Amino acid sequence: MFRAVLRLPTGRVAVTVLGGVLLLALLGPALAPHDPIEGTDAALAAPSAERWLGTDYLGRDVLSRILAGAPASVFGAVLVAVIALVVGAVPGLLSVYLGRWFEWATLRLVDTLIALPFLVFAVAVTALLGNGIVQAMATVGVLVSPVFYRVSRAAALGVSRSQYVEAAVLAGASTGWIVRRHVVAQVLPPVAIALANTMAAGFVVVSSLTFLGIGVQQPAPTWGGVLASDLGYLAFRPYAPLIPTVLIMLTVWAFNLLADAFRDTEGAAGRAPVKEASTR
Amino acid sequence: MTGPVLSVDDLHISDPRSGTELVRGVSFDVPAGGALGIVGESGSGKTLTCRTALGILPAPLRVTRGTVTLLGEDTAGLTERGWRELRGREIGAVFQDPGAFLNPSLRIGSQVAEVLRVGKRLGRRAAKAEALRLLDAVHLRDPERVYRQYPHELSGGMLQRVVIAAAIALDPQVLIADEATTALDVTVQAEILDLLADLQERTGLALVVVSHDLAVVAQLCTEVVVLRRGEVVERGATDAVLHAPQHPYTRLLVDEHNRYGLDRYLAPELEHAG
Amino acid sequence: MPAEPPLLQVTDLDVRYGRTTALAGAALTVHRGETVGVIGETGSGKSTLARAVVGLVAPAAGTVTIAGEEVTAFSRRQWRAFRRRGVAQYVFQDPLRSLDPHLPVGASIAEPLLLQGRSRADADAAVRAVLTRVHLTADLADRYPAELSGGQRQRVAVARALVTDPQLVVLDEPVSALDAANRVRVLEVLTELREAGTALVFISHDLGSVAGISDRVTVLHRGAVVETAPTRAIVTAPQHPYTRLLVGSAPTLTTGAVDRETRAELRRQLLTVG
Repeated sequence: MFRAVLRLPTGRVAVTVLGGVLLLALLGPALAPHDPIEGTDAALAAPSAERWLGTDYLGRDVLSRILAGAPASVFGAVLVAVIALVVGAVPGLLSVYLGRWFEWATLRLVDTLIALPFLVFAVAVTALLGNGIVQAMATVGVLVSPVFYRVSRAAALGVSRSQYVEAAVLAGASTGWIVRRHVVAQVLPPVAIALANTMAAGFVVVSSLTFLGIGVQQPAPTWGGVLASDLGYLAFRPYAPLIPTVLIMLTVWAFNLLADAFRDTEGAAGRAPVKEASTR
Repeated sequence: MTGPVLSVDDLHISDPRSGTELVRGVSFDVPAGGALGIVGESGSGKTLTCRTALGILPAPLRVTRGTVTLLGEDTAGLTERGWRELRGREIGAVFQDPGAFLNPSLRIGSQVAEVLRVGKRLGRRAAKAEALRLLDAVHLRDPERVYRQYPHELSGGMLQRVVIAAAIALDPQVLIADEATTALDVTVQAEILDLLADLQERTGLALVVVSHDLAVVAQLCTEVVVLRRGEVVERGATDAVLHAPQHPYTRLLVDEHNRYGLDRYLAPELEHAG
Repeated sequence: MPAEPPLLQVTDLDVRYGRTTALAGAALTVHRGETVGVIGETGSGKSTLARAVVGLVAPAAGTVTIAGEEVTAFSRRQWRAFRRRGVAQYVFQDPLRSLDPHLPVGASIAEPLLLQGRSRADADAAVRAVLTRVHLTADLADRYPAELSGGQRQRVAVARALVTDPQLVVLDEPVSALDAANRVRVLEVLTELREAGTALVFISHDLGSVAGISDRVTVLHRGAVVETAPTRAIVTAPQHPYTRLLVGSAPTLTTGAVDRETRAELRRQLLTVG
């Protein structure tokens, strides 16, 4: 499936952009030319040879803050998606196989989660569990997990009623065997789509929360935080929001592009086999 | 009437998109009150040929050569309006899925009566009386009850009878039955085939029975045409074709029945032929 | 009759779906190496009987015994162990839906062997061998179901059933979805299987499609067995009115022993009885 994604131009663009973002997240803090937290006297300085993107209202180097803020922003989004995947997709898959009670309980739980207002809940939990990136992301992850529950359950339910699963049962296959051999292949594509979509959404949420100052202790840098900090001083530095905004948009766009690429390859793999698609 | 009621002569049908010829030189005559069988599988061109005879060839396909003559009249120059005058009055048809020809939200009776009110300009009461007569003629038990029912309340066999009733409502000379019994149970299939034979005998209706099953055709038809990939591969009197099939494909069809079908037990002299 | 106990013995089997009774007191006996046709139309309970035999449906009462083991008393674990031995196999009606579209057909055929714990290399060799047994080339193993024709897929489904060398194979409508050439090919494969001593149960709505290779026929009507007899007796001297109608309705090349009036009379009889 992943190889099929790379065969699409959209898939290649998405993977290239996301690769760049990932590199930024891994190497960003090390590349920061100045201390991202300690301010200087030169507040709201214009870009110069020494400070390429200038400084913010506390005199902190903007480029350094963006580079140092990359891990929190990117891994925040990844954390959201992984938590949603584990909390959503695994019970979704098992709800088809672990009996009526488990199915009933998880379905009610999911209904409850869907009914909760998104941001209000996130703010409330952060207030309760403290203000930290992990708490915030876990909250968001749990809140989007119903999507994964639904998607994986729907795919598993469809397969479990298929004749080829009945044929495997008649050959003496256990539930574990059926899930590994027949169900996972069916569940993977829709879950991959949901995963890419969730990373995009998660990235927006992380940026929104950090923009509002939730989830990260000041003065720790994030992209949302950088965007927020300069908004009050637009008169002095009108170009300031440009860089963080472009970074956030580019990343979200790439995730959505990846989701589209997954969807396109799934359509091809579902009807005609992968092998046939490769010869065209 | 003298001469055939339906005559297809050297019919060619092409798909202009791909330039392929789907039907190549199909010819046959259906005499008044006669019964012709057309045997072929999907892709043989049997349905396209039938649709041409009804003036309902699907959009991009075109007749590139040959003629279809209905009651002595060449249909080549017919407009859609002209076809509407012929359909139902001179030629009728029933297909595999009777449900597709009935509106699910209207009662059976009103749908059959509508054909009569439009086609024969009957009044409301006369149309109802005639519709009830037709439902009885296609051997539906309790026509009054069926008249008031909706399509989903009837079985496949009953629906096919209703569609046959509507098809013969305007007293056509020819009825095309294209795989009309394929989706039905065997005993129900026999009921419909018996009904068609009955109608042919009683009203002089000419039949074109189209089926993938040689045996279905053999039940009703005196003449048979075997189609394969758009061409006629065999034609003749049914008895002759069954006893001495010439083309390998026809031989395969006959052979299958003799080896695996009931014929193995019914016709002992053929038992070891395969 | 041989003194040896039957390979499959179904006694007094009742199956209910909610309040509706699908099968009532059904009985079926299949001896080693014997081929039995189970014939019934829509709602006869024939598919329910087949699914109950292989344990896909739990009966409300009655017993099923396969190769001396009473499978109706099995726990889930016992069923799984029994199925892995591959003594009895089932072939679904629609091979496209019963083969995993994500797996090459070779992997589907190998699945029962891998479940037995055989090595992949071992299973691959067995897959190649069984493909030639159903008259397919071994290189087809790498193809996906969507890349095969309907006839090839049905033979792949048969191959999966044969890969464990079963003593009994239950086939649900094995040829009804195929064209003539593929029907004959599948029937040839099944004939060879029968000659090799495998017991076969054909589930079919059409007596005509499997009569030629069935030793005995059991006729189901509305959830009950109405008649069981050797095929020749069923065809030439049916006892029950429904069997007479069923035999008289099956299309044959020769004009059957049953005429239109007799069929109409039988239908009236069955209406008053049922």
